[in-house]
Amino acid sequence: MSAAPGPVRHKGRGPAVSGWVAPRGRALGGRSFALHRITGIALVIYLYVHLGVLSMLLIGESAWGDFLSVVTAKGFLAFDVVLIFGLLFHALNGIRVALVGSGYLVRHQRALFWVATAIGTPLLVYAAIHVFGGA
Amino acid sequence: MSTTDTRTLRVYRFKRGDGAEHFDEFEVPVGPRMSILDALRWIQLHRDPSLALRHSCLHASCGTCGVQVDGREELACVSAVRDHGETITVEPLANLPILTDLVVDVGEFFARFPEHPIIRASEADGYVRLEDCIECGLCLSACPVAATSRHYVGPAALVAAQRLLEEPRGADREDVLAWADRPEAAWGCHLGFECARACPAEAIPAERIMALRRELAR
Amino acid sequence: MRAWRWTVGSGVALVVLAAVHMVAQHFVVDEAGGMRTYQQVLDYIANPIIFVIECGFLFAVAIHAMLGLRGILLDLDPGPRGRRWIDPGLWVLGTVTVAYGLVLLTTLALRA
Repeated sequence: MSAAPGPVRHKGRGPAVSGWVAPRGRALGGRSFALHRITGIALVIYLYVHLGVLSMLLIGESAWGDFLSVVTAKGFLAFDVVLIFGLLFHALNGIRVALVGSGYLVRHQRALFWVATAIGTPLLVYAAIHVFGGA
Repeated sequence: MSTTDTRTLRVYRFKRGDGAEHFDEFEVPVGPRMSILDALRWIQLHRDPSLALRHSCLHASCGTCGVQVDGREELACVSAVRDHGETITVEPLANLPILTDLVVDVGEFFARFPEHPIIRASEADGYVRLEDCIECGLCLSACPVAATSRHYVGPAALVAAQRLLEEPRGADREDVLAWADRPEAAWGCHLGFECARACPAEAIPAERIMALRRELAR
Repeated sequence: MRAWRWTVGSGVALVVLAAVHMVAQHFVVDEAGGMRTYQQVLDYIANPIIFVIECGFLFAVAIHAMLGLRGILLDLDPGPRGRRWIDPGLWVLGTVTVAYGLVLLTTLALRA
């Protein structure tokens, strides 16, 4: 006798993909996975936006000048800082994932996260100051 | 000082053909050494005999009473009520079909294991438990990848594969490696390390998965 | 395992190439917001060493992005039909991405 399958519950609310990023009850590794996936998807989207706007260069000097006046406005520069955070996190956590995921320093995966944070935070601060014209 | 106080248990409910999933709340008098499983059994005895749950050994050895307590995977028999708050939410394990209330279909969990029987040659008639792993399914429930993928074999099955590599017991090493070398197996893990924390035994699935990947990447 | 090796390999390359790209394109520039003017972009791309580095960056980004998307799509449990389309689809997308980038880089280098 086989009954109809019952519901399958997953973490998070809404569609099943929320289970990737639901923070409730998650460990450090789970949260860094969530952020790695979010920054990864965001960087792919950014890649195509970036390649798209570079077509302004093909159009010519005035189109590029118009584009520059938009993206160098103060409000837009905050977006640059978010982007740099995404890049730094994905790069530094990516090194951790590459090492641990290949079987190296597995027992030190939490320490590696904090090493990455210690390297990334000053870089982000420096980059933010630079972006806003202070360095 | 009173030795008992009361806690509210919010318990997930689902009965086939009997309406939607929901939560029921029960006020439960709790003693200092009471476990979540004790509290659930108290509800069965004194409030609602229809509450379905599964347990056996009562000492974290059989792996049948796994549930989510406040969103974290625990064996109900060794999860102390006093380690939780005034209101305690108890749900069935995630990522497996629910049969009724807190009982999930573990058939889908075991179906993910590598095909090789995990037996000693001298005990060919029955399964011998993997050392450490009690096959409770908490790791699969905790795993973020399993939230979307029913084909990802999950931590316990990968632990079983690594166990076979460490002590083949007649299994073909190349078969085990081929089974593990798939996106739904060893490479489906994205290092959430949730299984390592959820595991109530000493199997530490994430470490075994990484050992398996190191073997594969050799 | 091949996908993992390529992901790690392209990822390691990207740590270097993206750092070069970010610093050289945006951090050594005096203009506001670290953006080069039109003529500065052309002069920069025309430098053969930079041209080669940027081409390498383009390839590494495309490979890493396609493998990342592949991992995510496989996590979503595509059916057997969906699975058949993932690899060819990503090959096409990656090839188009690289081709567009090469056209962009070459056109700008020739204009300088």
